[in-house]
Amino acid sequence: MSEKKNILVIDDDVQLVDTVKTLLEAVGYQVSFAYQSEKGFELAKQTKPDLILLDIMFAGPPGPDGVELSRRLHEDPDLKDTPVIIVSGVKQALDMPIKLGPDETYMPVKAFLEKPFKPDQLLTQIEKILGPRA
Amino acid sequence: MRLQAKFNLGIIIIFTILAIVIAVVTIIYVDNNTIREAENRVRIYMRAAWEIHNGKVRPIRASAEILAQNQRIRDLLNDPADKALSKAVSEKLEAIRQEQEMDILNVLAPDGTVLLRTRYPYNKGDNLAADPFVQQVLATKQSSVGNAILSLERLDIEGPGLTERTIASSGDPRGMLVGAAVPVIQDGRLIGMIQMGSLLNGSIDEVDRIRDAVFENEYYQGKPVGTATIFMDDLRISTNVQDNQGRRAVGTRVSREVAEHVLERGLSWTGRAFVVDTWYLSQYDPIKDPDGNIIGMLYVGELEQKYLDLRTQVVAVYLSVIVVGMVLAFLTFFFITRSVLNPVRKLSEATKRLSSGDFGYRVPVRNKDEVGDLSASFNHMAEQLEAQRGQIEQDQQELEALNRELKATNRNYMEMLGFVSHELKNPLASSMMSLYTVKDGYLGEINPAQEKSLESVAQSLEYFQEMILNYLDLSRLEKGELEIKETNISLGPDLISPVLAGFAGALQEKKMRVENHIPDSTVLCADSDLLRIVYDNLISNAIKYGRDGGTIMLDAFENRNMVTLSVRNDGQGISPEMMPKLFKKFSRLDSPEYAGKKGTGLGLYTCKEIVEKHGGEIWANSKLGEWVMFSFTIPKSNKEF
Repeated sequence: MSEKKNILVIDDDVQLVDTVKTLLEAVGYQVSFAYQSEKGFELAKQTKPDLILLDIMFAGPPGPDGVELSRRLHEDPDLKDTPVIIVSGVKQALDMPIKLGPDETYMPVKAFLEKPFKPDQLLTQIEKILGPRA
Repeated sequence: MRLQAKFNLGIIIIFTILAIVIAVVTIIYVDNNTIREAENRVRIYMRAAWEIHNGKVRPIRASAEILAQNQRIRDLLNDPADKALSKAVSEKLEAIRQEQEMDILNVLAPDGTVLLRTRYPYNKGDNLAADPFVQQVLATKQSSVGNAILSLERLDIEGPGLTERTIASSGDPRGMLVGAAVPVIQDGRLIGMIQMGSLLNGSIDEVDRIRDAVFENEYYQGKPVGTATIFMDDLRISTNVQDNQGRRAVGTRVSREVAEHVLERGLSWTGRAFVVDTWYLSQYDPIKDPDGNIIGMLYVGELEQKYLDLRTQVVAVYLSVIVVGMVLAFLTFFFITRSVLNPVRKLSEATKRLSSGDFGYRVPVRNKDEVGDLSASFNHMAEQLEAQRGQIEQDQQELEALNRELKATNRNYMEMLGFVSHELKNPLASSMMSLYTVKDGYLGEINPAQEKSLESVAQSLEYFQEMILNYLDLSRLEKGELEIKETNISLGPDLISPVLAGFAGALQEKKMRVENHIPDSTVLCADSDLLRIVYDNLISNAIKYGRDGGTIMLDAFENRNMVTLSVRNDGQGISPEMMPKLFKKFSRLDSPEYAGKKGTGLGLYTCKEIVEKHGGEIWANSKLGEWVMFSFTIPKSNKEF
């Protein structure tokens, strides 16, 4: 049995984080999480996850939004190859990284997932990136 | 054209026509009158001229008749051979001839033989029985007076100097004599005749007397007003008509027309005549010798220019009177029409102000005439309108206030709805996530009864979720938050692909196939986010109401400046009765075919709102039991971004 893949969830929706954590752990991933973008970035630096699920808009104290955070991740030498899945309920926000695409040589964003989503949809996207789970 | 201008133009036209008619009539009338008057005067002048002409002959006759009573002449006639007596009488008569300024004074025997020729005493014994005067005396034993033409031969006989005089004066050697022959009667028997006479050729005495007596030697613009002429045949032998150099125009001839009329037909000629170099109003009368032969003409003429100028003056006076009269009439007319039209103009002005919304304006009512009545009626109407408008404005304000209130209420409602929906969205999303995590067995096996129950919850939650998403779209749309931000959209890659990607799971679940016939080249001018809501709704409906395993067809047809887009699916279709309700807010297709597939009644309404915001239309076609197709139009790309 190979080592469990580590997934970092950065989202301000406590319940959703809880649900996603429950699901992902149930299917065999190791899950860490942050409710604020700044903290999420710190946690990513510490734990170096295999994949990051990132929300776009955050309530609470001011901090970078999802797009800004994914750019920062890309600029960080340790994290620049970490894949990101954007998870958002805002359709326009979902389009933003796509529109940024042609101007960037590389973005870590691999997929977009519109809220609400179903377990199957999330797992499908994760498996596309990390490969079939054990 | 304004009324005043129309009136003025009308009256000017009438006046102009009137003035022209009056002027023409005046000119013709004055012309005829002055000419007729002039001709009458010329006739009178002619009578005076004849008096003077005939007056010349009278003293000649008288002198001859006195001489005929002279005893010594009678003695001589009784004894022509008495040379001493002959010499004495001849000398005496020569003295008389010279004193009387006669050119000839002859004493004739009863057979016409010349006994004494005072002017040329050596030339006698010739017979003058052919002389017209002598001839008449022989025939009637009465005095004969008048004019006669003497031939060249006769003049030569009468004495030296006469022919030279005639030739010098007019170029014709013949002479026209004014004279008389009277019989000398003794005991009822003709014992002889006395002939006296004077040549008119070159003499100016008579014509100047006519001119002076009749015309008082008046001059007009350097020309003599009156002229008189004696013609021998058609030749001027005595005249005060002047030629170009100011000399008496003797030796010139009369026009052919006058000569024909007077000399050949023996008639008087009256009219305009071009005498030497000027027009004269003239009369020519024939002069006859005692035998009645026409031997010349007497002419008088008055300068026409004088009459023409007189006529011009009269016409000018007439016309000035007409013009002044018309100007006065026009001014009167102008002031009258203006006083009539002024109130009308004020009414017109008031009507304009009324129509532009000035209900407070009133027309002054001055006169109790028709226009005054009209003005009063107008004022009454304006008052009523003003009152009505006040009422309407008040009503309108009330309506506007009510409308604002309603809008505010609606906005509050929509804001609340949007807020509630938004707050519900995230808990709902995580609830569904949790539910499916359990239902799909990720947290352990569940039995069929549990799965059925969870499935029922899932369906409710999905309906709930759809409703919330719709409410969110709608509340944003109605709050005006979603103002159209038009850009050029490449429909296929920018919009259809991401939307279809979002529905991949649902399509797979119902085993549906999508046929996308939209050309890659289709570019629209639209708000990308709003158009996406439309496609989300239509495709979501197509999946929800479409037949399992059926096909969804997407199309785009370009017209002149619109693109018609359509989404078609196989399925139950929509009955004609349902069609009108499709796009109404909160309307649902509560028909047996759609039992168990509850809609929110908002999706199509939102689509309609969005399409109409773009200036397009949306509609549906269906074949019941086979297919349904939703179509809408969006403007083509027409701007550069």
